[in-house]
Amino acid sequence: MKRQWSKKVLALVVVLLFVGLAGDVAFSQEKVIKIGTLFPLTGPVALAGQRCKAAVETAVEVINNSYPDIKVPLAAQEGILGGYKIVLVHADHQGKPDIGKTEAERLFDQEGVYAIIGSYNSAVTKPASLVAERRKKLFMCGCSSSAELTKRGMKYFFRMAPTDETESQEFVTFVKWLNETKGANLKTFGVIYENTEFGKHAAEEAKKAIEAAGFQYIADVAFNPGATNLNSEVQMLKGKNPDVVFGACLGADYILWVRTMKQLAWLPKVCLNYCSGYQDPIIAQQLGPDGDYFMGTTGYSPELAELMPAVAPVEEIYKTKIDPPVPFDSDSIQEAVATFVLAQAIEKAGTLDPDKVAETLYANEWESPLSLGGKVAFAPGGQNIKAMSVVTQLKGGEYRRVFPLELANSDPVFPIPSWDKR
Amino acid sequence: MTLFLQIALDGILNGMLYALVALGLTLIWGVMDVINFAHGEFLMIAMYVSYWLGFLMNIDPLVSWVASGVFVFLLAFATYKLVVSHLIGKPALSALLATFGLSMFLKNLCLNRFSPNFKLLSVTALSGKTISVGSLILSLPQFVIAIFSLIVIFIIYRFITSTRMGWAIQATSMDKEAAELMGIDTEKIYGLVFGLGGVCVGIAGGLLPTYMPVHPEVGSLFGLIAFICVAMGGFGSIAGSFFASLLIGLVEAFAGFYIAPIFKYVAVFALYLVVVMLKPKGLFGW
Repeated sequence: MKRQWSKKVLALVVVLLFVGLAGDVAFSQEKVIKIGTLFPLTGPVALAGQRCKAAVETAVEVINNSYPDIKVPLAAQEGILGGYKIVLVHADHQGKPDIGKTEAERLFDQEGVYAIIGSYNSAVTKPASLVAERRKKLFMCGCSSSAELTKRGMKYFFRMAPTDETESQEFVTFVKWLNETKGANLKTFGVIYENTEFGKHAAEEAKKAIEAAGFQYIADVAFNPGATNLNSEVQMLKGKNPDVVFGACLGADYILWVRTMKQLAWLPKVCLNYCSGYQDPIIAQQLGPDGDYFMGTTGYSPELAELMPAVAPVEEIYKTKIDPPVPFDSDSIQEAVATFVLAQAIEKAGTLDPDKVAETLYANEWESPLSLGGKVAFAPGGQNIKAMSVVTQLKGGEYRRVFPLELANSDPVFPIPSWDKR
Repeated sequence: MTLFLQIALDGILNGMLYALVALGLTLIWGVMDVINFAHGEFLMIAMYVSYWLGFLMNIDPLVSWVASGVFVFLLAFATYKLVVSHLIGKPALSALLATFGLSMFLKNLCLNRFSPNFKLLSVTALSGKTISVGSLILSLPQFVIAIFSLIVIFIIYRFITSTRMGWAIQATSMDKEAAELMGIDTEKIYGLVFGLGGVCVGIAGGLLPTYMPVHPEVGSLFGLIAFICVAMGGFGSIAGSFFASLLIGLVEAFAGFYIAPIFKYVAVFALYLVVVMLKPKGLFGW
């Protein structure tokens, strides 16, 4: 009896192995490149993560199918490397670095992905990209903004977006311009930031840029993301009363911060923001008039579309992949850029060898109609040296371009009108 | 001095909110010896009820807290009947793990149904409104929640101490078998207490969308802080959890301002550790 069972189990194992092998053979015959995405699909910044995932899916749809009317590299042909199609494997890191690292390991070791695109949160991108580097696999980062990420001398890591270092310098240049041309007389600065890789590095870069320009850095306010209230944080800002505040607050925390400033009846004269809370059009819509007059950098918003005509048809595909259908935002579009640039590099290298693709990425300047500068090129360490952004200001729920002057379509409103005068 | 008073005021207002959230948890523990790990998720569900009523039917949270309270009462009652009642008398860990599972279920259900997107009622009757008292500024949404907290705590306290049903609840919490011998339907009492716990957190959640965005994770930290309030005040003590909540609100506000905002939860949890080390049964525990 026992022997019969053993035979049955053995037969079952053989059948399963055969089916498994057959599956692998079928998969390889399909000429597929598996690419992992690693974004916060749940958790406090899940809204941004879902958009980034949809942006990568959009780019893959354009790459895998023929869209001759879309003026983006690889759109006219079907697939890359003579017919290879990209298949995405999605992973959720929930905004947590430890989960991000484990999921990156799973994507490479169990799912067998060729490369990873991600991870939105700089705090997750850091350990997840190390997983890729140790395996000599490519890690394409769209929008994580910590300058630290591209100062590690990594060989397989590439980032599309401007860093918080360049954004800090842009903010300070803008404030100097306000002082020089508008008589703004802005002297004191404060920074409010979440206590994460992204927030801490943004604050460090802000402090460096502020002090290098000869301004006074008088308020340094860190907070725990996902807090039940931000009263102490805003009271501290209010107590120090800086002329200018730089904010590095994501998602729901940005909403709570703005609402708490209103409840405590305080505003700085100028408020400039890094990254997603400010840049998120849904948040801007939900905050309504309370979100107006805040400023920040952005690499894309619908108001910039006239500068980037190739975006519109791609954006139409993107809108079918996200609920509710919204346009690209500054972060999600960078993930699409990362996907296109990776595909272009594989196509140009003519091989899937990660070393050769990495060399090709460094050796060339890439056409990127979805980037504000129109080009992508990488410095050692993987930073896109062609990355550009503009300073915008929310007015009536629209992002108006205010700086640099050659890209501006509106005058900045400052000081921000107080809450009772709107 | 004004700044000191303003920070104290902020701390008290936040403490009142914690007290309202913690009240339900302390009631359930006091009577049933059950820790409801899904308490934070009940808050989140109440916030969604209030949000959707505001978004779809234009009902202000100042009205929809009633619906949130009723909805979470029914949810809590169903939780008792379907989950917790089967675990009464079993090892305490069983109910704790079951409610932990329920919290995961509710969170993921909301993720699936409502997506992880945060949702905010842009305009409510209270949003962004303030009251000035001399140089002090009171945030109206937080002030209204604090008033509700006081009223609900007073009503629950009077209900427990001055009504026949309240006495039956007290008797059940003291000795379930003896209460049954006296003719008290303890099954009914347990269901009612679980439901009442839900009402308290439901009212808090119904009012929170006046200033706070709603998302599936929003209840997690509130649930944890409520647990700390209950443990610090003394499990089962309404007065204890109320004063512990105020203390936590004040410590959070003062540590956040005078030490560093990043330190505020460190200070809260450090205080909790000190209290439970010195008084393991909590400040008002017996």
